[in-house]
Amino acid sequence: MTTLPQPGHADGQGAFRAPFLSRMHEWIATADHKKLGVMYVTTGLIFFLIGGLEATMMRWQLAVPGNTILSPEDFNRLFTMHGTTMVFLVGMPILLGVANYFVPLQIGARDLAFPRLNAFGFWLFLFGGLLLYFSYFGAQGLYGMGSAPDVGWFAYAPLTERTYSRGHSTDYWILGLLVSSFGSIATGINLITTILTMRCRGMTLMKMPLLVWLMLIDAILIMIAMPPLAAAQVMLLFDRLMGAHFFDPQGGGSAVLWQNLFWFFGHPEVYILILPAFAYVSEIIPVFCRKVIFGYPLMVAATVSIGFISLGVWVHHMFALGLSPMVNTIFMGSTFLIAIPTGIKMFNWVGTMFGGKIRFDTPMLFSTGFLAMFLIGGLTGVMLATVPFDWQVSDSYFVVGHFHYVLFGGLVFSIFAAIYYWFPKVTGKMLSEKLGKCQFWLLFIGFNLTFGPMHVSGMLGMPRRIYTYHADRGWELWNMLSSIGVLIQIAGVLFFAWNVFRSLRSGKDAGADPWDAWTLEWSTTSPPPEYNFEEEPVVHSRRPLWDLKHPEDPDWKYE
Amino acid sequence: MEHDAKQPGTEHGIHLPAPTSSPFVCAFGVTLIFTGIVTIWSVSIIGFIVALAGAIRWWREGLPDNIHQLVPFQEDRVTIEPRPGAVAHLMIPGGTHRARIPVEIHPYGAGAIGGLVGGIAMAVIALIYGLIAEGSPWYTVNILAATVLPSLGQEDPAQLAQWHTWGFILGIIIHVSMSIMIGLLYGVVLPMIAKGRILFGAFFVPLLWSGLAWGSLRVVNPVLNDHVDWTWFIISQIVFGAICGFIVTRSERIGTMQNWSTLERLGIESPGVPSIGGDEE
Amino acid sequence: MSATPTSPATTILSPPEAAPQAMDSGKCGMLCLICSEITFFGTLLAVYLFYLGKDLPGTPTPTEVLEVSAAPMKVVFNSIFLLTSSIWITLAVRALRKGAMGAFAFWWFLTILFGAEFLVGTGMEWYGMIAEQGLTIRTNLFGSGFYTVVGFHAAHVTIGLILLSLVFVLTLLGFMHKRHAEKIELLSWYWHFVDGIWIAVFTIVYIIGR
Repeated sequence: MTTLPQPGHADGQGAFRAPFLSRMHEWIATADHKKLGVMYVTTGLIFFLIGGLEATMMRWQLAVPGNTILSPEDFNRLFTMHGTTMVFLVGMPILLGVANYFVPLQIGARDLAFPRLNAFGFWLFLFGGLLLYFSYFGAQGLYGMGSAPDVGWFAYAPLTERTYSRGHSTDYWILGLLVSSFGSIATGINLITTILTMRCRGMTLMKMPLLVWLMLIDAILIMIAMPPLAAAQVMLLFDRLMGAHFFDPQGGGSAVLWQNLFWFFGHPEVYILILPAFAYVSEIIPVFCRKVIFGYPLMVAATVSIGFISLGVWVHHMFALGLSPMVNTIFMGSTFLIAIPTGIKMFNWVGTMFGGKIRFDTPMLFSTGFLAMFLIGGLTGVMLATVPFDWQVSDSYFVVGHFHYVLFGGLVFSIFAAIYYWFPKVTGKMLSEKLGKCQFWLLFIGFNLTFGPMHVSGMLGMPRRIYTYHADRGWELWNMLSSIGVLIQIAGVLFFAWNVFRSLRSGKDAGADPWDAWTLEWSTTSPPPEYNFEEEPVVHSRRPLWDLKHPEDPDWKYE
Repeated sequence: MEHDAKQPGTEHGIHLPAPTSSPFVCAFGVTLIFTGIVTIWSVSIIGFIVALAGAIRWWREGLPDNIHQLVPFQEDRVTIEPRPGAVAHLMIPGGTHRARIPVEIHPYGAGAIGGLVGGIAMAVIALIYGLIAEGSPWYTVNILAATVLPSLGQEDPAQLAQWHTWGFILGIIIHVSMSIMIGLLYGVVLPMIAKGRILFGAFFVPLLWSGLAWGSLRVVNPVLNDHVDWTWFIISQIVFGAICGFIVTRSERIGTMQNWSTLERLGIESPGVPSIGGDEE
Repeated sequence: MSATPTSPATTILSPPEAAPQAMDSGKCGMLCLICSEITFFGTLLAVYLFYLGKDLPGTPTPTEVLEVSAAPMKVVFNSIFLLTSSIWITLAVRALRKGAMGAFAFWWFLTILFGAEFLVGTGMEWYGMIAEQGLTIRTNLFGSGFYTVVGFHAAHVTIGLILLSLVFVLTLLGFMHKRHAEKIELLSWYWHFVDGIWIAVFTIVYIIGR
């Protein structure tokens, strides 16, 4: 476990550095939501590098037709591990980590409701992730040559059955994810309880910052959607280890059932990942536009309805399966429906920016990038929700392009926005604006160069998950462009790493409130003391710090 | 079962849950139990023992009462200074400085009328082009109708110059509905443009639209693409944009209901409810 | 948008809003845990229902197996034990609230006893099915579904019994007091949940599924 060097506390103990072991013990034994939040995000970023490396190898292989850098088997393992890592070991910990750190601070609490359970959840997540990666060494027994899972991140049956997936690689996939999803469920329950029962005085539900609202819905989705995945995985495990027949067509089992169960989890999972992105930009955009968020009640209503609808759209991942036209049509309709609350959110963010005094600091730059990229991802999503169109491009690179615009252009951009926004609060140091802007443009250009052409190669018929292709298909240019884009993105990520490293060593001091923001976390020191607030805060509006800074024109008169 | 983060403070500090490695140990044990399933069963046994040890320690820390430590207050504190007058207020006619902008918009009717008038001007130019280029006013009508009537798109210019009843009906429907819709968009979008509304309406949008049509028509309908004269196309778009934008911007602005209270929007009139379009206060 | 009466621009005072949180964290957390458990069991039961009657021909059907070795009366008998234990645990919590430690220990022990009886009953049923009828998890879809659903329920009963027994030991050692009633009540909620799930499992496996 790597830990961020703990910046010196402002009480003068900064110069003293405890011996390494006792510092390690401090992190391992902690039940402090802030330390656990930092550990979550750091772990997530490390897994982000690993997952990115896997993607880079795949793009290297696909850069030219007929390439032989990777074997087909290695390629299968890489895309499986890339997908699994990015969803379960990057997206989940970062969103849980940011929520861990900032939900208690924003609602004026001293910690989560169950601090030790929180630590338990984090360690389960981390060990689950390590168990998954241990498969590279242990999948065929400790002494044989190992190999990682190679069945794709949604692990369709019957490919995962014993007959087709020999060795233990799929078992590692099941067990690693089981362990880490127990941790996620525990933390989700913890967050719900915290938000419902530990708000400070005056903070009614409709006065909560939007981050808290979105994380509440997010945690409820985690609570509802992850246990079905655990149940499905347990059944698969029984199939593989004890010879049950759940997903084994030869024994009467149903492969389609696995798809239903997986996507019943899988689609809410997509929203579990993207709601935090909405949360971050909903906090950042108002601050950098110097305006209140446009249509707060509608934002809340849209969030709740996204949560509801997301539980009823999963079949749109299975349009190509051959279900009855009636089922397809119903789920096409429900999928279209989800565009409405999402569209409301887009318009509200743009409405917040409209007429605002926009400061294009790095967090705002990334948030704007999020808006544009997520819009593209959302629009291709509406295209894919149309059954006939989906039949044309299902399982092609068009789909890959679509969900990377949502999850990379949407989630990752907003995560960087969040890191640039809250890094000063967490460490007390500012990140460099110059490096941050370089990173943004590199990432933005590289991202579009990588994933834009995928729409074209997908339309031209290139299926996803192929390890190579012939030269006569007209796909060469688009694949080459995609691979070049990856190099630019790597440069962007290097800028980020250098920025963090430099800021921790010699960054500008941030002070308590560098952005002149309005939520409670900025009313305490940076980094916050272990107890967060000396006195429990009392709030009267959605922008408690605005009320304090501008007592002649407080918000509570207007809410 | 350990809802204890809400501890009362003392004068010197605050009671917080004491650090403990039990969750770490317990989680490690649980993971080992699962690892044993795919490696050697003895790993599971060890895992069970580790997890049990962690759990028992955890229970002993939590029962009968949770262990706490007193965290002393740190010395530096943040005070938030009031900064009256530090924010420049938006100047909105009517006095209030809190409003949803834009406060006033052009009526939707102005957009529809602008679209219709612009559409008529556009049609006139198209007819002139038809007369000059092919010697028949029906030529452009038929080309427009050919976007939905594939059979029409297959015909040669001489036939396109003839009268087609269906071509005429469809051409009129397409043209009128498109004109009204784009006029409505002008009505909604133009008030949101801070500067250079004429430039935006008369040049930027027509050129954008022409570019889109130019880029997509050759893919969507390559046959039709051969019949379009792009110079005239752009001229007619600009005339439409200029006229439509002119009519929209000249229309009288009306206030939006965005700043009304819910009761006002519902149309309730009573002494307690401020008058329609009234201020917040 | 409800406009407060116009106040001079300089007043800073705010309407005092006391909002002490109505809900107890422990209760909320336990409810959430129960919710997620319900979705877990819901998935298992949905799968069980989905596979009803889809067994390959020639393999044992639920009707054949459940009629014989798990004679219906036995299962009903066991179920009554489990369900009544819910009553005893409620009485135990009530006694603890009053501080009547002797009564608490008695009802608590009765709960454990009845829970254990259910577990033994399930074990005997399984033994009959495996040894006499030869139905295992590998036999067919019914076997897979039955052992998974009933097994997971039994596992939850076991976890519950371990926790209950720990509390019982602590009671005998004199560590339990009236002030722990809140925490103990949470444990009783979990026990009620286990019973409630059994009603669903019983209905689906032994009534609908037959």
